[in-house]
Amino acid sequence: MIENAKYPMPVNIVVAHGLEAKALITILGLERDQASSEFMEYSNSTMLRLIVSGMGKEAIAAAVSYLGKRQALEGAEIRAWLNIGIAGHRDAPIGSAWLGNKITDKGSGTSAYPPQLIEGFQVGSVVTVEEPETLYPLTAAYEMEASAFYAEATKYSTAELVQVFKVISDNLENPISEIDLQTIPDLIAAQAPQIISLINGMSEIAVGHNSSQQLPSCYHEICSKIHLTVSQQLLLKRLCQRYKALGLEDELRRVTDLNASSARQLIQQLTECIDRISEI
Amino acid sequence: MFSTIYIEEEVLESERVKALLDRFSQVPQVVCGRYGEVFNRKSQNFRLQKKAPALILAKKHGKKVLAAPSGYGYNDSKSYYFSHMLNCVYDCRYCFLQGMYSSANYVLFVNFDDFEEAIEEKIKENNGGGVYYSGYDCDSLALEPVSNFCRHFLPVFRRHPNAELEIRTKSTQVRCLLDTEVVSNCVIAMSFTTSEAAQQWEHKVPSIEKRLEALHKLQLAGWKVAIRFEPLILGSEGMAPYESLFTQIFSKLDVQKLHSVSSGLFRMPVDFHKRIVKLYPDEELYARPTETVDGMIALKSAHESSHLLAIEKLLLSYVSSEQYYRCA
Repeated sequence: MIENAKYPMPVNIVVAHGLEAKALITILGLERDQASSEFMEYSNSTMLRLIVSGMGKEAIAAAVSYLGKRQALEGAEIRAWLNIGIAGHRDAPIGSAWLGNKITDKGSGTSAYPPQLIEGFQVGSVVTVEEPETLYPLTAAYEMEASAFYAEATKYSTAELVQVFKVISDNLENPISEIDLQTIPDLIAAQAPQIISLINGMSEIAVGHNSSQQLPSCYHEICSKIHLTVSQQLLLKRLCQRYKALGLEDELRRVTDLNASSARQLIQQLTECIDRISEI
Repeated sequence: MFSTIYIEEEVLESERVKALLDRFSQVPQVVCGRYGEVFNRKSQNFRLQKKAPALILAKKHGKKVLAAPSGYGYNDSKSYYFSHMLNCVYDCRYCFLQGMYSSANYVLFVNFDDFEEAIEEKIKENNGGGVYYSGYDCDSLALEPVSNFCRHFLPVFRRHPNAELEIRTKSTQVRCLLDTEVVSNCVIAMSFTTSEAAQQWEHKVPSIEKRLEALHKLQLAGWKVAIRFEPLILGSEGMAPYESLFTQIFSKLDVQKLHSVSSGLFRMPVDFHKRIVKLYPDEELYARPTETVDGMIALKSAHESSHLLAIEKLLLSYVSSEQYYRCA
């Protein structure tokens, strides 16, 4: 089970409807987050988070913005974003599912193309509409949130880590007007292996990225001890990254332990030291 | 080979595109408006995209043949470059392309006839001459089985014997050349760094031995070959890696027949460097001290001049001064 995973899964899952969330809460071992008031939120100990946005583009953009802004205050690490939801298609079987590799907003006519780094998934087009589509003119999954989700989520993460996964709930033979809403959790649950695999893949990429960007602990210690301007913080951050990349973390600690009298002096000492040691 | 193939609507009916889509029918294919909708968008990450690059089939609009940067070439003739592709299948950590584009996807411009027309116009402007470089924004040969670049462009230069084509590469995909009658005004220029540098920074690149073997075959077949020692990244090991590399290369190839040999230091525009540092803050190469001159960033080294002179002295013990030039 995913809740037993021993590694972090920094993934935000965004669904429009509580019925779409229902199966995911069980599959992913999520618990209701009582602290959240604006949206229904669920999380588990692996850093997985699920938010229920409400239906339509405005609602999902608001939910992504709400969560993205809050997480941006919590730290610099990026998270993956995954929109899971039901969609209609002209003739795709009920219960089939795919990752969107082209998301077209019917209203504006613009398309976005989520980069596909994770292998092994069915892929296809997604069209976002304002009102439920009953004719399905294009060979695409029709739904009501993906374009706004993608546009908003790419403000908080890199495009490679923003994906949409759509499960077909209606088609010409099984029109949207006849959907039994109670079957939605089952449609989502049937995709559990795919969804877990997708979350694993996205987590791996996000964790790898965050690890490459991780600063030595020294950086945070200095920031808590000395007042730094924003530009000094940037200089210090880069200096700490350089020490780490050059395998000089012990030297970094030695210089920072010299108790410089000011941030300016510390940055100067760190710069002189690393340039002296690393110049060929 | 590709995670996805994106196809500009405008080139969907091109024979070249149809053939490629048939060949890669198992790869997901997505039609887009213009390639800029997919390539080089904000919020893209070159480092992440390198994990699974896509191929974008597009039409090149605007200027197709551009003046080469000053100091790029090996003689005083007017020199130009053209890029039928953007980005490279290899993943060299020192490469400026990482800072030039935010996307690691490969863009293949399929309107070869338009490139051909532009090249022929430029040749005409230069009274039949000029030097034309391919491989500035990509590796010209590495995707040859997909692009058929040589098959199209070698005959162009065969028709214009006073114009020179330099194909810059690190690829061993030379079958297309070996199967073709030699084009005497075409030079295959292979780039090398020391074995240590290759191991540390050249990911997915064929080994020095394999590249040398490919060059050897080309030389035996009568093709003009050249060696590019770029970028020179001086290390604490001193001259030993260069001694070893030069011995390896010049004992394998017929030195007298080498078209040219050049060297060039690690340099890149400041903006590119900044972007690469953001992508690879954990990379040792970009943690070294640097200095900026005229908008270009270089590794700061008190001994750079003396090292470079020593490398050149060593090189000139193998090749003649007429064969050698230093790339600015």
